[in-house]
Amino acid sequence: MHRLEEMWIAISTGILIIFMVVVGYQTFALGMGPPSNKETIDPQKVDQTEPFDEPGISKIGDNEYEVVMTLQAFGFTPNNIEVPAGAKVNFIMTSKDVTHGFQIAGTNINAMVMPGHIQKISHTFDKPGEYLVLCNEYCGTGHQLMSTTITVK
Amino acid sequence: MAAANKNSPKKHTDNENESSLRGTIVSVGFVGAVIVIMWAAIFGLYMSRI
Ligand SMILES: [Cu+2]
Repeated sequence: MHRLEEMWIAISTGILIIFMVVVGYQTFALGMGPPSNKETIDPQKVDQTEPFDEPGISKIGDNEYEVVMTLQAFGFTPNNIEVPAGAKVNFIMTSKDVTHGFQIAGTNINAMVMPGHIQKISHTFDKPGEYLVLCNEYCGTGHQLMSTTITVK
Repeated sequence: MAAANKNSPKKHTDNENESSLRGTIVSVGFVGAVIVIMWAAIFGLYMSRI
């Protein structure tokens, strides 16, 4: 084989291995993989099933909060979340109808929320401000109206 | 003499092949650099939002 061919095969293979090692370490050692909780729920009985019978925010530790949230066309319940700066928030979500998205602009939070499945994702809000929350899965004629904000003080 | 004549054009052809891949490795290197820069940029964006 040509010397230059050997060179670019070696370099590109090396780059791919570096990428996979870095991403693999992030995912499996640091828990930075995409949200992929595996619990299921009967999507027709969300309102009667714990913890979604009482959606809302609760304090579970020192500046740590749990948000139990249902997503339905075309809104988020609860939709008035307010936490202090530096708070770690654990979101537990499910959909009552179709597949919705849960994205918080300016953060790494981007989850798919499917009926029949319980999705979990955590984030620490260090910077105060109004965070825009968007549904980023087309869910019907009101999809573009499906948004809310999270206030961090 | 005949052997020498056969050898020298062959060598010449080899050198020509070698130099003709220079443009290829520059193009491959350019594509590779674009991929590495984009990967690093996305990586930096993700880490800055942790
Ligand atoms: Cu939606």
